[in-house]
Amino acid sequence: MGEFRSRIAFSLLIAALVAVATISMVVDRRSRLTGGNLLPGWTRIVLDAAVPLQKMVALPFDVARDTWTRYVALVDVADQNQALRSQLAELREDNLQLREALVASGRLERIAEMRDDFDVPMRPAELVGVDVSPWFRSVLLDRGQTDGVLSGMPVISEDGLVGLVTATSGRAAKSMTVLDRQSAVDATVQRSRSRGIVRGRGSDGIVFEFVARGADVAVGDLVITSGLGGVYPKGLRIGRVTAVSDPGAKLVQEASLEPAVDFGRLEQVFVILRRGPTMELLYRAEDGDAAPARPGT
Amino acid sequence: MKRVLGLLGLGAVALTLQGAVAAFLPARFCPDLSFLLVVALGLCWRSAVGGVCVSGAIGFVTDLLSGSLLGQHALLRLAAHALARLGNRHLSLRGMLPQAIFVAVLTCANAFAMALITSFFSPGSAVAGIAVRELLPQALANALLAPLVIALTARTVARLGDEDGGQRVLPLSPRGRIA
Repeated sequence: MGEFRSRIAFSLLIAALVAVATISMVVDRRSRLTGGNLLPGWTRIVLDAAVPLQKMVALPFDVARDTWTRYVALVDVADQNQALRSQLAELREDNLQLREALVASGRLERIAEMRDDFDVPMRPAELVGVDVSPWFRSVLLDRGQTDGVLSGMPVISEDGLVGLVTATSGRAAKSMTVLDRQSAVDATVQRSRSRGIVRGRGSDGIVFEFVARGADVAVGDLVITSGLGGVYPKGLRIGRVTAVSDPGAKLVQEASLEPAVDFGRLEQVFVILRRGPTMELLYRAEDGDAAPARPGT
Repeated sequence: MKRVLGLLGLGAVALTLQGAVAAFLPARFCPDLSFLLVVALGLCWRSAVGGVCVSGAIGFVTDLLSGSLLGQHALLRLAAHALARLGNRHLSLRGMLPQAIFVAVLTCANAFAMALITSFFSPGSAVAGIAVRELLPQALANALLAPLVIALTARTVARLGDEDGGQRVLPLSPRGRIA
């Protein structure tokens, strides 16, 4: 009788855990679609605790890498290189914005407007950990709500678009990168203005999909955010076309892209402290802001 | 309770280590330590209730540190733990090779289940297309590390007070035959 009871109790425990997991998934999915703040408070504590832990565990790796880069490989050159890269990235960004404005309208006034528009506050953040699941591509950042980082804010690096903040706690944020299979970004080819969707493919990089058959896409073309989805600002570099597939009988074609950002070496990013219009609408009623954002644009 | 807390701590260590190592290794070659731990618990911890609770908790924390839906890993970790427990009853998983093969098969099943759930909740996502070339290295990495994780977990369970840690569970039925 006792064994029977304990079996029943065990079955009930399993059923309860499965039910909790399933309900959590449904609620989480709903919060992603509506932008509601439905994540329980304890999740923020876990996220906050993860940052110092990840930093601590990664410390030996970081020290080894820094030692090699700064002292063994090239003394001082690394610092100079870093400064020059930052400068180059700023100039590239300026150049890109100017070209965008010129292509879009041809009016110089637009350039000034665009510069103003792009001149939004950014918060530098350090990448302290990557996704613990091999099937997803999120990263953990060491900035959270106390630094003004909220769900739905775009994340960039000096090379281009990194992703989108999907959940925040007081001192940490989780960001889904463009490599994630759930990510979709409305994009355009800078040269020809052909539009499509950039989707993540995990380890296989990113793909430019749903490009109209016959659209002008060539190897080497730069693909940038179109800004039409209302999630990301216009003109952020996403990647460069490495191959264009033959559409065959299909109405759309797709192209493989090499991401502009080297995610394997990503250490520091910038969170744009302004949400796009779509994200603003999605999260407008939200106070605590801990719910993930809708992945697509 | 001491064992549960100790193994939860081990889970936290596994997740933290995995997050740090994943930053330096390509994702497809990075072993899924929390998954291995959950399977190892199914193989060498007698307490079914404790195993299920710890597996569920590890799954939920994995969800928090991952881009998955909250509860997705929790559900799959529970399933992996249950399958490991079942496998331990009906299969001979004593040696390193059987353990490695068992874990490789479980990894593939876990990936397909992950793709299925994600596709169900996010129909537009490309998770369903988890490529074989991505899955195989992952299964191989898990298989290679599995005997070590299982041995370490068995030792930890034994050290935390389970006398049968590391021993195969062979419950005897009242009629005297092996259940």
